[in-house]
Amino acid sequence: MNTLTSIVTLLIFPAGITLILAGMFYEWIDRKLVARFQNRVGPRWFQPFADAVKLLAKEQIKPAIINPYLFFGLPIFALAGALTAALYVPLFGLAPPHSLTGDLVITIYLLSLPTMCIGLAGWNTTSRFSLIGATRTLTQLFAYEAPFLLALLGPALVAGSWQISEINGYAQNHWLILTQPIGFIVAVIGLMGKLELPPFDAPEAETEIIAGALTEYSGRGLMMFHLAKSAELVIGLTLVSSFYLGGLNGIGSFLIKTIILLFFMSILQSLLTRLRIDQTVGLWWRFGAILVLAQILVTILWKGFMP
Amino acid sequence: MSTEQKLQTAEQLLAPWNKETIRPEENRLDVVIQPEALHEAASALHEAKWGYLSAITGMDMGVEAGQLEALYHFCNGPAITSLRVRLPRAGAVVPTIADIIPPATFFEREIKEMFGIKVDGLAVTDHLFLPEDWPPDVYPQRVDFTIEQAKAMEVSHADQMPEPGRVGENTFVVPIGPQHPALKEPGHFSFTVDGEIVTAAKMRLGYAHRGIEKATESRSWVENLYLFERVCGICSHTHAMAFSMGVEQLAKVEVPARAQAIRELVAGLERVHSHLLWLGVTAHEAGFDTLFMYSWRDRETVMNLLEQITGNRVNYSANVLGGVKCEIGDEQSKAIKEGLTYLETRIRHYLEVVTTDAMFLNRTRGIGTITAPEAERFGLLGPTARASGVARDVRIEAPYGAYVRYPVSLVTETNGDLEARCVVRLKELLVSCFAMRSILDNMPEGPLTARMPRKIPAGETVARVEAPRGELFYYIKSNGGEIPVRVHVRTPSLCNWVSVLEKAVGRQLADVPMLIAGMDPCFSCNDRVVTVEDSRTSENWSWKRLREYGIEYYSR
Repeated sequence: MNTLTSIVTLLIFPAGITLILAGMFYEWIDRKLVARFQNRVGPRWFQPFADAVKLLAKEQIKPAIINPYLFFGLPIFALAGALTAALYVPLFGLAPPHSLTGDLVITIYLLSLPTMCIGLAGWNTTSRFSLIGATRTLTQLFAYEAPFLLALLGPALVAGSWQISEINGYAQNHWLILTQPIGFIVAVIGLMGKLELPPFDAPEAETEIIAGALTEYSGRGLMMFHLAKSAELVIGLTLVSSFYLGGLNGIGSFLIKTIILLFFMSILQSLLTRLRIDQTVGLWWRFGAILVLAQILVTILWKGFMP
Repeated sequence: MSTEQKLQTAEQLLAPWNKETIRPEENRLDVVIQPEALHEAASALHEAKWGYLSAITGMDMGVEAGQLEALYHFCNGPAITSLRVRLPRAGAVVPTIADIIPPATFFEREIKEMFGIKVDGLAVTDHLFLPEDWPPDVYPQRVDFTIEQAKAMEVSHADQMPEPGRVGENTFVVPIGPQHPALKEPGHFSFTVDGEIVTAAKMRLGYAHRGIEKATESRSWVENLYLFERVCGICSHTHAMAFSMGVEQLAKVEVPARAQAIRELVAGLERVHSHLLWLGVTAHEAGFDTLFMYSWRDRETVMNLLEQITGNRVNYSANVLGGVKCEIGDEQSKAIKEGLTYLETRIRHYLEVVTTDAMFLNRTRGIGTITAPEAERFGLLGPTARASGVARDVRIEAPYGAYVRYPVSLVTETNGDLEARCVVRLKELLVSCFAMRSILDNMPEGPLTARMPRKIPAGETVARVEAPRGELFYYIKSNGGEIPVRVHVRTPSLCNWVSVLEKAVGRQLADVPMLIAGMDPCFSCNDRVVTVEDSRTSENWSWKRLREYGIEYYSR
């Protein structure tokens, strides 16, 4: 693969601009659905795009007591992490541009990069809201990360591969939502935790800590963090639907499956009350982790006894 | 025990310190005591469980008289006993009674800042209402305070950072307000947190203090009615109602029965609107926006009804001195009944949601529990007190106006947590709806207003009304002229603050907005100077510069 194609793949299609636009589209669907469930009108289709343009045009205010390299660098790292993760997943139902053994692990770690950047960004400023927000972001990361990883490990075990494209191929013949329902639920809820969607929005609970770790961010920096989140949403939806909902083998199956999954997630978002951070951690480690471990144990035993 | 017996008991209790007994009205007893005897006299009433301290009114008798007065009002059902302390204008000192009656702190701080009555032994010395750089011997509610003195204050501003952020290794001070998404109105709280646990709480009010009480002293009785309606946007009707009731008592004017019924009806609708608003705010603080959106959607029904009856959505101006100005015809009556039917089904639904939704209960059940003795000690009022099992409701204890003819039943809960506060408020609405129906079905015929004199006879009176947040207390004094001498307003929120500050300590930061919302605070009620910071250009600005810019920006 030559340099030009690499640049196109990373910056234009399927990662880069296309992914960002898709992220905006999915963000709009999410916002519109939640709004409709809450008896509101909701935004028009171009609202996330308009938001991004507006934020780009706005001045980025730099707080007095910060490390400027971190302050300006972190949003870029967050966005870069999310965009790179897109290279290994069957985005839009197409074959991933890059594929190697163990790329599942790489993707999961790249997806954690935006969260860690947000945590660091909050720690970097002296704002008390940011500090508390950063603590909560990182606490939540430790809560959902392991169960989410384990939930994606289930399909990998039955497919006998750590390679996303191979698991996707295996899943096209096996609807794993039927054989591993617990894993599916944990994966969806884990994704909501990762994206800090309600009820896991304690790290940015506006009624307590304004905007959490991102309180001091404005303009471009804020926009990049938002875009990283939107990109993460698309990648997360792609991963979960390709593993559990019968794989992705084209743009049609991609749209249908991810949007159904998003619909399900927005119902949960509007039905549930925000959890306190201690309740979030309790939920994940008392129920999420244990249930998904039991699921994996069953999978391993099944693999071991059934030839 | 009848009102008369209660007053006799109080007189006996206060006999050792009594210098002079005045009976300004049938249900009131005024006992003049020496400042030194105040603590003992107050504790005698308190220990005998004779009612509760409802308000402390400060008064300036004028430069010639050279005297200040402080009135400590204790309410017991309809009976009111006031301890009247006469003080010299220079060097007025009273002992604190906050050590025996904690809610007195806020009242004492108010008379200290506004009238310069020094309170001996007051634990907190910070300003509650006035700006930090307010000069030490200027007291805005004294009669000789002039507008020129107030203008001089506008150019002077404190130059300081809000407060130090980090106070220990893992301990921070988290400021909530004056501008904060959790607060819809300006107030300032600083919570010291160790990790997520709150270890200390402080509060500051006055960001919206416009000096309404002072302003009344230069406006006619009629003008003041409209001014008081604007004390609070949510319970505007109860404020106007309390003021009119007081003025009518002074003028000895009997309000027609039909007008009283309409007053109760509008007050009932206002309660529905206020409590549904509160439910939405609480749900939002808990992060349950769906409930927030739905309850506010349903609130529109009652807002439309209020608009249909009075022509306004917020400051309804249903009252005039001596009656009401809006008529309830057949068409309105039908619309209200239809609206009530819809609202009742919705309220029952919300009652089910707040008692069964497991995720919402996670955030309300067992949070901020106030036991009945604590509620008594903090001097809580309204639904906050009733959720703890304290039967405190002016509509029932001392029925006024149409509540004699169309009574409401008392709603109490025993748990005292946030869940109980939700339940009490919603059940109360069902009771209100029931009372409103019976008013509409048995509306008395007759005129809407009685004739009021332009000059109100000299005298002083107390009017108490149950606002959606609790007992609203008006003290009105007239010298027989066209303008009042003194009107003192004590709003229910001021009494309920203690519960937040005491209960936040030891809880998680995440519960704090819920605790604040749980007592349904109304800041504009408490306040009666806003500083806003704003930056538009790219530069490094110091806090000082930022403040100056903001001040300049908003004075343009």
